[in-house]
Amino acid sequence: MSWDVFFQQCVNGLTIGFIYSLIALGYTLVFGILQLINFAHGEIFMVGAFAALFIHALLGALPPGPLNAVFFLPLVLVFAMAVCAAVGAAVERFAYRPLRHAPRLAPLITAIGVSFLLQNIVMLAFGPTDKSFPDLFPIHKFPIGPGGAGITNLQVLIWTVSIGLMAGLHLFIRNTRAGKAMRALSDDRDAASLMGINTNRVIASTFLLGSAMAGAGGVLFGLYYNTVNFHDGYLAGMKAFTAAVLGGIGNIPGAMAGGVILGVLEGFGAAVISSEWKNVFAFVILIIILLIRPNGLFGSRVVKKV
Amino acid sequence: MSFFDLALFKKDRGRQILLLIFLVALLVPIMDRNAYRVDVLVNAGIFMMLALGLNVIVGYAGMLNLGYAALFAVGAYAYGILNTTLGVPFWLGLPLAGLAAAGVGMLLAFPALRLGGDYLAIVTLGSGEIVRILLNNLDGWTGGPNGLLGIDHPTLPFGYDFGVASAPYYYLVIVLIAALIFALKRVECSRLGRAWMALREDELAAGAMGINLVWTKLSAFGIGGFIAGMAGSVFAAKQGTVSPDSFDFVVSVMVLAMVVLGGLGNIYGVLLGALALSLLPEFLRGFEIYRMLIFGAAMIGMMLFRPQGILGEAHHRAEYSRERRRAPRIPMKPSAGPTPGAAT
Amino acid sequence: MSSINAGRSRSAASLSLLLALGLLGGCASQPGGGTEASLSVIKIGCAAPLTGDQAQIGIDHCQGVQMAVEEFNASGRLAGTRVEILKMDDQRNPAQAVNAAKKLVSDPAVLGVIGHFNSSCTQPASAIYHGAGMTQITAASTNPDLSKQGFKTFFRVAATDDVQGPKGARFAANQLGVKQLFVIDDKTTYGKGLADAFEKEAAALGIKVLGHEGITQGDKDFNPLLTKIKPLQPDLIYFGGIYPEGSLLLRQARALGITAPFMGGDGIATHTLVELAGAAASEGTYATMVGGDMKKVPSAAAFVTAYETRYGKLGQWSAYGYDAANILLKAVETADAKTRAGVLTAMRTVPSFTGITGSVVFDEKGDNQNQFIGIFKVTGGELVYVGPAE
Repeated sequence: MSWDVFFQQCVNGLTIGFIYSLIALGYTLVFGILQLINFAHGEIFMVGAFAALFIHALLGALPPGPLNAVFFLPLVLVFAMAVCAAVGAAVERFAYRPLRHAPRLAPLITAIGVSFLLQNIVMLAFGPTDKSFPDLFPIHKFPIGPGGAGITNLQVLIWTVSIGLMAGLHLFIRNTRAGKAMRALSDDRDAASLMGINTNRVIASTFLLGSAMAGAGGVLFGLYYNTVNFHDGYLAGMKAFTAAVLGGIGNIPGAMAGGVILGVLEGFGAAVISSEWKNVFAFVILIIILLIRPNGLFGSRVVKKV
Repeated sequence: MSFFDLALFKKDRGRQILLLIFLVALLVPIMDRNAYRVDVLVNAGIFMMLALGLNVIVGYAGMLNLGYAALFAVGAYAYGILNTTLGVPFWLGLPLAGLAAAGVGMLLAFPALRLGGDYLAIVTLGSGEIVRILLNNLDGWTGGPNGLLGIDHPTLPFGYDFGVASAPYYYLVIVLIAALIFALKRVECSRLGRAWMALREDELAAGAMGINLVWTKLSAFGIGGFIAGMAGSVFAAKQGTVSPDSFDFVVSVMVLAMVVLGGLGNIYGVLLGALALSLLPEFLRGFEIYRMLIFGAAMIGMMLFRPQGILGEAHHRAEYSRERRRAPRIPMKPSAGPTPGAAT
Repeated sequence: MSSINAGRSRSAASLSLLLALGLLGGCASQPGGGTEASLSVIKIGCAAPLTGDQAQIGIDHCQGVQMAVEEFNASGRLAGTRVEILKMDDQRNPAQAVNAAKKLVSDPAVLGVIGHFNSSCTQPASAIYHGAGMTQITAASTNPDLSKQGFKTFFRVAATDDVQGPKGARFAANQLGVKQLFVIDDKTTYGKGLADAFEKEAAALGIKVLGHEGITQGDKDFNPLLTKIKPLQPDLIYFGGIYPEGSLLLRQARALGITAPFMGGDGIATHTLVELAGAAASEGTYATMVGGDMKKVPSAAAFVTAYETRYGKLGQWSAYGYDAANILLKAVETADAKTRAGVLTAMRTVPSFTGITGSVVFDEKGDNQNQFIGIFKVTGGELVYVGPAE
């Protein structure tokens, strides 16, 4: 493999990796607090992509130009994130909260039900075929090195937005009271509530944050691939979950790292082995990680006390 | 009591009703000649078998499996490959397919030995997808996306070929389901069955009581896999062709929903759940596109309002009936807990 | 058993009984096996994916059939008889296709079926139709193996992939002067079959095949594969597959700086490809298509206008559904006895049909002997007919 190809694969892999990271954050946040795998999280990501499509159609076709990136993109992003946050909070409130003390199978089944529900609502609203996602601005490619490798302005945008959002989230969790409350809850829910933390409110805001991240991922995904389909949530969700586990589920920087690593690994796997096994690759990584290092690369070893 | 009293389950209302259902079921293809409707029942029957098998893993042993369709596929393809390459007839292919699926099932149990609950769910999901993609991509063995064609239908010794008629498959499926009910009821009361339930209730305590956790888990996946394999071979023999499309994630979820809907661990509940969910699309024919939506909403509703399923979970039923049983209790020391296991 | 358990068992039993009885009781049992249809209503089936991600082409197909049936009824060619369509959705799933087939054959008024669409569905369904002696005409299933099963009931209007692929290869070699190329397929019955046939012929013509890889249907990211292809510098990239993946391949290839033209089969020969990929990315893409330029056939113009007035935009497969249905209806009209056997005999004895997609002559396998393959090229955002593929 020549250096050009290598660089290009890296660039592509990192781009999709950042999108996986954004989604993975939602999984990891929710799991950290509730020990629940939010099966429907992938669908929230898909809803984000469609929300962006919707608002774009609503605002009409604007002539593409560099100013669009300045005004239009933040608007679409904020809208999609808000919609996803709302959907995520609603799901938590009506589908998960009543089952908080139910046997562990129940919320998982409900999550599957929610996943189907969201998928089909979107399908009925937008139709089953691929929807074209418009280009918000013309794509320029900036060459790297002498050969044909390069990075497009869209990819740079995706990197910047993802890193920005993740940094923001990290700072939020670390420095604000709300973030501290989340950390407290993930350590020990009962002790946290004894300390006067409003458990329900914190859990709801966790879902809000995680879903908003996924929504942002959805917008970037739509921009990058230019088509969205109601089925996209399933596969992207699985891969993002793999990323979260890879990094150590419950661990926020781990989710970020996991996403990027998975994106790059997947890209190289597809290039070196074969494209048709790309999806298997992700699942195999998942199983291997769970077998040999279930706490993930950055997760701490949790000793189970009897 | 005379032999006939015993045979007609005079003293056992529950079994009497079962016998009645069985007899009615036998008469269905004779009363209704519409091959399509009988075919729908055959497909429902295959799903009932699948539900029984998944019930072993999820209901008895309490291990969540989201990739059951993979085992179904292994059974179907096992018979298909054996038949198209080696000419293996159906009646031999049936148990062999079961064994193949049992083997793969036990292989998939491997991660389960160390993981619990949610992780296991995702791993089984991943395994299910891996199997499906393998079947789609390994053209040489599995025919790739085309799948396998020209799989023989079952034949009876005196030259009767099942062909594409519906009635013979119907009877085959009824016999298999009856046999499975019988076998599973026996296993439920056996040491292995009780070990599964102990595993389900509290893995740590079960291990502390001396139950071999590894063997218990493996056998649940093995037996569950065997049943799926058998269902798969029946499916392949009936269709005459198999392709990877028939074994996707939706199938796994549907079977899980049937088990949950009916009540985990409850054989009759699970059968009822399977029948209901299989027949549901027939009644929703006009609402095709809303089908999955209703399905998702129904699953949420079930979990919110009746998580124990239509007929209730087996171990709850056992506790409930134990309290109501009129047989005198031998007085035990005050601190002794309830006796383990369920007897029905 | 305690009374509680008996109570539960009883409710289970009664529920099951109710379900079974509901199934039986609600419908009067019909005597099976009768194939004589009443004189007033004859039914034909239309089986295709009507829901799901390929719903659009299935719907286009059945709408074409519907137009043919309505015209037939209006013309009064068969006095005192009305033809109805039974639309069956197979969701491009073979198990569903079998269900649909069984449902159609169990209705004695159904004399023939136009379907299915995907080869993976037509395959198992054809066995069912064969068992019931029911004529089956497929307008879209192109896999060559379908007609090799020896089913006298099977007919096909569309060209087969073992004709379409090689003709594309010949065009690439002779008209485009391609020296080396790369092949991609989507690992479906159709895509892989087409790509394999193309590759074989290309190699036989002396073109260097740089590689052949598969992608997964439904996947979005083809950057790794395309990055790998780029340094190989193929003159052409062939894609055996359908427009959703095709449009993504085009977009991503152009974004990576690959300038080689793409070629594909009828799966990408649709305007939706241009819509999804964008006019810039799809410019210069070639596609083989069964049949030529419909705009040049006079009778087609009337069809196009009528269709677009009724249903909106003309779909790729509407015309094929229309022609296939007309063939079946002609057989129904000329059959001595309005039974499945009668229709089948008529299908086999009438020499040829001329439809808007060309003339059709069936050989004993049921394939269309007149397999005309045309080449279309995306020019200025539209699919334009270039010429015959050879």
